[in-house]
Amino acid sequence: MASIPMQYVLILSAMLFSLGLIGLIARRNIFFTLLSIEIMLNAAGLAFVAAGARWAQADGQVMFMFILTMAAAEVSVGLVLLLRLYQQFKTLDVDAAKDLNG
Amino acid sequence: MSIQDVISLLPLFILTAMAVIVMLAIAFWPNRRASFWLTLSSLILALAALVPAASTVPRHVTDLFVVDKFALFYMGLILAGGLVTTALSRGYMDKYAGNRGEYFLLIMVATLGASLLAISSHFISFFLGTGIVSLSLYTLIAYNPSQRQRIEASLKYLILVGAATAILLFGMALIYATFGSMQFEQISIRAVQPDQNSPFLLIGFGLLIAGISFELALVPFHMWTPDVYQGAPAPVTGFIATVAKAGIFALMLRLFSHASLPVGSPLWNEFAAIAILSMLVGNVAAVIQKSVKRLLAYSSIAHLGYLMVPFLAQGQLSPSAIGFYWVVYFITTLLAFGIVAAFSDPVNELDDSEAYRGMFKQHRWPAVMFGLALLSLMGLPPTGGLVGKVYLFAAGVQGSVWLLVAALVVGSVIGFFYYIRVVILMFSAPPSESTSIGPTGKGTSVVLSILTGILIILGLFPTPLIGMIAKIITNIL
Amino acid sequence: MSLLFFIAAAIAVVATLLVITELNTVHALLYMIVSLLSVAFIFFLLGAPFIAALEVIIYAGAIMVLFVFVIMMLNLGPQSIDQERQWFNLRSWPGIAILAAILLVELFLALRSGATPANVAQLAPQQVAISLFGPYLLGVELASVLLLAGLVGVYHIGRHLR
Repeated sequence: MASIPMQYVLILSAMLFSLGLIGLIARRNIFFTLLSIEIMLNAAGLAFVAAGARWAQADGQVMFMFILTMAAAEVSVGLVLLLRLYQQFKTLDVDAAKDLNG
Repeated sequence: MSIQDVISLLPLFILTAMAVIVMLAIAFWPNRRASFWLTLSSLILALAALVPAASTVPRHVTDLFVVDKFALFYMGLILAGGLVTTALSRGYMDKYAGNRGEYFLLIMVATLGASLLAISSHFISFFLGTGIVSLSLYTLIAYNPSQRQRIEASLKYLILVGAATAILLFGMALIYATFGSMQFEQISIRAVQPDQNSPFLLIGFGLLIAGISFELALVPFHMWTPDVYQGAPAPVTGFIATVAKAGIFALMLRLFSHASLPVGSPLWNEFAAIAILSMLVGNVAAVIQKSVKRLLAYSSIAHLGYLMVPFLAQGQLSPSAIGFYWVVYFITTLLAFGIVAAFSDPVNELDDSEAYRGMFKQHRWPAVMFGLALLSLMGLPPTGGLVGKVYLFAAGVQGSVWLLVAALVVGSVIGFFYYIRVVILMFSAPPSESTSIGPTGKGTSVVLSILTGILIILGLFPTPLIGMIAKIITNIL
Repeated sequence: MSLLFFIAAAIAVVATLLVITELNTVHALLYMIVSLLSVAFIFFLLGAPFIAALEVIIYAGAIMVLFVFVIMMLNLGPQSIDQERQWFNLRSWPGIAILAAILLVELFLALRSGATPANVAQLAPQQVAISLFGPYLLGVELASVLLLAGLVGVYHIGRHLR
């Protein structure tokens, strides 16, 4: 298989990462916030696998597996919190949760 | 892995095994206090296990961990912090109507995660450590899920930490791409080779620092921290402010002791700017706070800024100054949040500063303890806070980081105003209607009194501890 | 083979862009799955077939499905799309997008200038497995502690939810 320069993959992961960051800040629906975090974590994982491939080490892939684990656990907790939030506040709006601002 | 490796990691093995046992106890043992006692004893056991671990030091356990005296010191501090939090939570959780087993289990797991950070020497253990701590904290903050405040605080924390972790990871990936290794020592070896001038490096480390600053709640990455601290249960807030931060700080010390951070370099400047902002903004923002927990949150932001001063000064005094101040900071913060917790229950917390008015008349000793904790945060005698601050100052002067030292002084002076306001409130005349939520139980007062005692002793006789720390932490920075 | 990479990359970027701008949550999830599948293909091109499979099975297959379950549980109905349209404040986007674009351009220039040898080795699953059972064994154990914390957490928060 012909080679793909690592830079290109890193640029791709940087683009995905920034798209995730934009989504995180710009969207008001908490659901999209959680989704954006997933996008960012996936982009970071892509960068790791690319780096691992460049150095011909399995470490990048190992790190990706751990990122996967963490992302899964985090999103589970995030989603159950979202369900509770909906139960309490009756909305998924991030800006609606303003009890604490003081 | 050899027997020696297992012995050096003994505290972690104990905590992990006990986590499983506590989980089984929650399922099969109906006694409501069971998980508390199990957690307490496992943390004590883990602390005791530091002694055999110390005999195998220094040691690399696989690529992921390095166990040396520095690591054991911070691990001991973290385990002690977890122990104190558990002890202080008992009275608080006794008033919780639901199931408590998970609370203590998660405190134990979070302590495990923070200990990982203290011994970590690899990006993977860094990531796993922060992951374990964060995951446990999401649930601990939201422990009473029918309360709006808790859910809001936990979600904000989740979003904050999720973004921080992603930024951290991306930085790590860039560093890995440059050096081909995720191990701290390997990175430092390769960093000094002449051909390493890659642009990835600056961005990678820059992002790494940003991620670490998010976790340490330094300005300008502190956005939702006060909300989280206010919305979380008081003992959990105490835990976040002490144990969680200590782990990351210890890891940061280790990482940057290897990777060099010359004064005036872009990365050093990034850190310095963050430190100065934290010291100033943290203190200024605290002045207008009505809520005690938010006030303590901003104060904790400022204190982490103070701790950055010796780190950036990189002088001879720095490691022991940092170590000593962490001990004092732990005691003070746990004492402060412990008092708040002692007077709260999971539904109503003693948060509004007005509620502290006249506390001295109704509850003498707790008011005195809280007053002493605030004195220590201010850096006044006869508490350990004074010695700690002087030590930080000395370390900063030794490194000639004048701007940082100036911020330290200015910040501390601003700090007087809001700490003293609470003290005055406590000792002023009580309001006409008696408000009090009664303090909880003997156990909590004993723990708090012990903490206060240690705080005073450290203020009057700091030398033994300073000497001990100087002997332990000789190889970092 | 570079062409394949560029096509997959383009699909990933476009799909992700659609995810963050989409009003309908289910549509957004489906775009996300497309994006994840193209990233999985890129993993395959990078010589990491095991990770490519994992990406599809776990990320697209489990995590996204979890999102779908939650959407179904919430059962928000068609008025949610109108609500999203209200919340979608176009004014907040340009500022953030410009900042992100600046970062991206910086990164782009930085990455352009670096000269990295472009070798792509085939890292078979065996090597990953040997890593996991060898030097990173403790990491796997700790990942299980991580999952324990997550499990206990979800159980506790989710109790008596309905």
